[in-house]
Amino acid sequence: MWIYLTKRLLSLLPVLLGITLLVFAFLHLIPGDPAVVLSGERATPEQLASLRTQLGLDQPLPLQYLAFLGNLLRFNLGNSIISGIPIAHEIQTRLPASFELTVSAMLVALVLGIPAGVLAAVQKNRWLDNLTMSSSLIGVSLPVYWLGLLLVYLFAVNLHWLPPSGRLSVEAGFNFQPITGFYVLDALLRLDWRTLADVLVHLVLPALTLGTIPLAIIARITRSAMLEVLSQDYIRTARAKGVPEFRVFFQHALKNALLPVSTVTGLQFGSLLGSAILTETIFAWPGIGSWIYDGILARDYPVVQGGVIFVSIAFVLINLLVDLSYALLDPRIQY
Amino acid sequence: MGMGIEKKLGKSPFRLFGISAICAIVPFGCTPATNLGTSSSPSSLAPNQSGVLVYGSGGSPVNLEPGNITDGNSIIVQDQIYNRLIEIKPGTTDLVPGLAAEWSVSTDGKTWTFKLRQGVKFHDGTDFNAEAVKFNIERWWDPNQPQGYRNEGKIYEIWQQMFGGYKGDPNSLLQDVKVVDTSTIQLRLKQPFAAFPAAIASGFYGIASPTAIKKAGANYGKPGSLAIGTGAFVFKEWRTGDRVVLEKNPHYWRTGLPKTNQLVIRFITDPAARLAQLRAGQIDFTVDLAPDQIKELQADPNLESVPRPSFNVGYLALNPSYAPLAKPEVRQAIAQALNQQAIVKAFWGNLGQNDAHFLPPSLSWATTLSLQPYSFNPPQAKQLLAKAGYPNGFPLELWYMPVSRPYYPTPKPIAESFAADLSAIGIRVTLKTKDWAAYLEDRRKAPGYQAFMMGWTGDFGDPDSFLYAHFGPGGTSDIGNWKNDRVFQLLNQARATSDQTARGKLYAEVDELLHQQALRLPIVHAQPLGAKRKNITGWVPSPLGTEPFESVEKK
Repeated sequence: MWIYLTKRLLSLLPVLLGITLLVFAFLHLIPGDPAVVLSGERATPEQLASLRTQLGLDQPLPLQYLAFLGNLLRFNLGNSIISGIPIAHEIQTRLPASFELTVSAMLVALVLGIPAGVLAAVQKNRWLDNLTMSSSLIGVSLPVYWLGLLLVYLFAVNLHWLPPSGRLSVEAGFNFQPITGFYVLDALLRLDWRTLADVLVHLVLPALTLGTIPLAIIARITRSAMLEVLSQDYIRTARAKGVPEFRVFFQHALKNALLPVSTVTGLQFGSLLGSAILTETIFAWPGIGSWIYDGILARDYPVVQGGVIFVSIAFVLINLLVDLSYALLDPRIQY
Repeated sequence: MGMGIEKKLGKSPFRLFGISAICAIVPFGCTPATNLGTSSSPSSLAPNQSGVLVYGSGGSPVNLEPGNITDGNSIIVQDQIYNRLIEIKPGTTDLVPGLAAEWSVSTDGKTWTFKLRQGVKFHDGTDFNAEAVKFNIERWWDPNQPQGYRNEGKIYEIWQQMFGGYKGDPNSLLQDVKVVDTSTIQLRLKQPFAAFPAAIASGFYGIASPTAIKKAGANYGKPGSLAIGTGAFVFKEWRTGDRVVLEKNPHYWRTGLPKTNQLVIRFITDPAARLAQLRAGQIDFTVDLAPDQIKELQADPNLESVPRPSFNVGYLALNPSYAPLAKPEVRQAIAQALNQQAIVKAFWGNLGQNDAHFLPPSLSWATTLSLQPYSFNPPQAKQLLAKAGYPNGFPLELWYMPVSRPYYPTPKPIAESFAADLSAIGIRVTLKTKDWAAYLEDRRKAPGYQAFMMGWTGDFGDPDSFLYAHFGPGGTSDIGNWKNDRVFQLLNQARATSDQTARGKLYAEVDELLHQQALRLPIVHAQPLGAKRKNITGWVPSPLGTEPFESVEKK
């Protein structure tokens, strides 16, 4: 186990190095520089030159990259060009919001996706199966941006059932002092039920929006994994022994079908941290995604670099955790 | 209901956790019961009636430190916290006293004396006086001022852009700053600059508490730090990426203001999301909606559209260093070939105005009002072309910006309309674009683009902010370093003349010359679109882009 873990961690190094190189190259090789974006229509060539010197943009690219790597090794992601705020601090401040949203979206996906997949497998090729699978096809294909706005217009603007965006209503915000930044947890710690309710209603629409794609994927994977397991000999044996269908599905089959589902769940969880960019922007969610979005628009190099590298590392680490979890889910696997 | 849960669960922390886990797993299963079921709970779903004024901003401020930032989302918050020496009459570009009760200039036009308001205090209780003003100005201007924290990356570049340079720089307009007594300060300039009061009245130059700046150091104005001014609202909290919370300044020197006790500024980047928030009643007023959202806005009986007076110009630049465009007749022909009125109507509706002037309508005192825009007349345009030696037209590369700007919300289709109109007189247009940063930069690299779309929003309420930057020395590198001695002379003379009527005449002559030259064809003065809920009164948007909300009230 420990040898495996060490090997895996070492093999991450080139991956991470590759990520930093790619992110750096993409940002710096596209035309135009942030000094121009910062000054907008206003800048004259002399002012641009002095601004570039101050931002360190007049250095050759390889030197800029080495400086960037050196800082990274010291866990220094630099400061935002525009606000001057340290990237690490910004990530720390915004991570709880993104994490809370991602967990909620994954819960939506799992709680709805697994039963839907099981149902579809059980009802294979019947109308329920067709309905579930075609809805999940739609779910995978829906543009998040469009779906988010649609939900907002339906549930917030027209029906007034749910708030259209944000993490907390204005009123709740006045008296609520976060402790950890995870608002659900903070409201619980403070035994503040009104705020808890407020926080949870604010989570519904963004979590549904962000959860739609993983929901659809999980439903489809669960279905196919279930179908495969259901054709195994031991299921026939169980049925022959007279085990009730319900127990066959949930006790014998589902447990064994969960392995591929857990892989996909891990992958989706990692990618949600990054793909929340659009969802967070539509829902004015103060997380990492909306921050990266603003950074891209403003061409704030350190913000985009820091944000993307952080999300990539999180993705890689989550995948490692998923791999390790196989040993727990399947006793036959040993590292 | 909230109380009920609390009671039932008793004291066991484990039970609490159980409920939380269930709520977390089924977020929408738990919440309606606890929220909707309680009539006394502050429901977040009904329109916000709490008396708290909520403004939907187009994004997060970058920081709340005056003089160090120019983006509108920062300035709108700073406008609430700080006062400037000179301020702006709501809805106009007229100057009114701010922290300076009066101001005057010496006969040589170089020394400006400001008499400061007495008895004003900063939100931290310290005194506002001439020393405080000197401290603020020197931070922006003097690279060696210790509390400028330039070694920590602060730049104050807008000062350099507006006033020529920093202290010690030969181009610096400012010569020195002198405290005459506690309520009088003098700024000596190297050359006369009549627009100086308008420039120092721009939203960038709020006066902050020196004590607070010394206390907070380089972090001043960042989230979690301080932002202390003399303005109508006191800074209370900044939640990163989410909101700024402000409270009424009970000692505000403008008596009877502000009209609201609490002001919350929420950051909502996406215009569609902002409008949804407004319609759902979660915010009370907002700005920077897209022109095509006006229909949705007007269809909602609870909302009103609030167009901001235009303070911009969207223009089509014709670069005379491209041989066919060297003759003014050819450029005039292009002006006549474009159906400008129809284009503006089509893309801006009632939110755009096409006229003959580079200056926006709010600066009409500096224009020749009788000047008419070039009328749409393709046959005459064709004749002009033929006379200039291009009977069969010529090829033209026309550049359009890849991003939406307030003055050109949808550049590409607008460029296509230009191209269609020009092809009717034989000009064969190739449309081009590139990344925005490169677009901005490369237009100034010789020989520059042949023709390009660009625009400008004024930095301060004076014609100088538009005309000097585009037609003065150093402002024409994107139109082949075009140079006109008479225009340069008039612009410099206007800088040295303090009488507004006399300045108006000088600028009016510039206006006529520019019209005849047709180098940067003014296509539109666009009105940014704001909106509010019907129960909001007292909001008068400023042409300059941001305004204090001290008179805004929720009925």
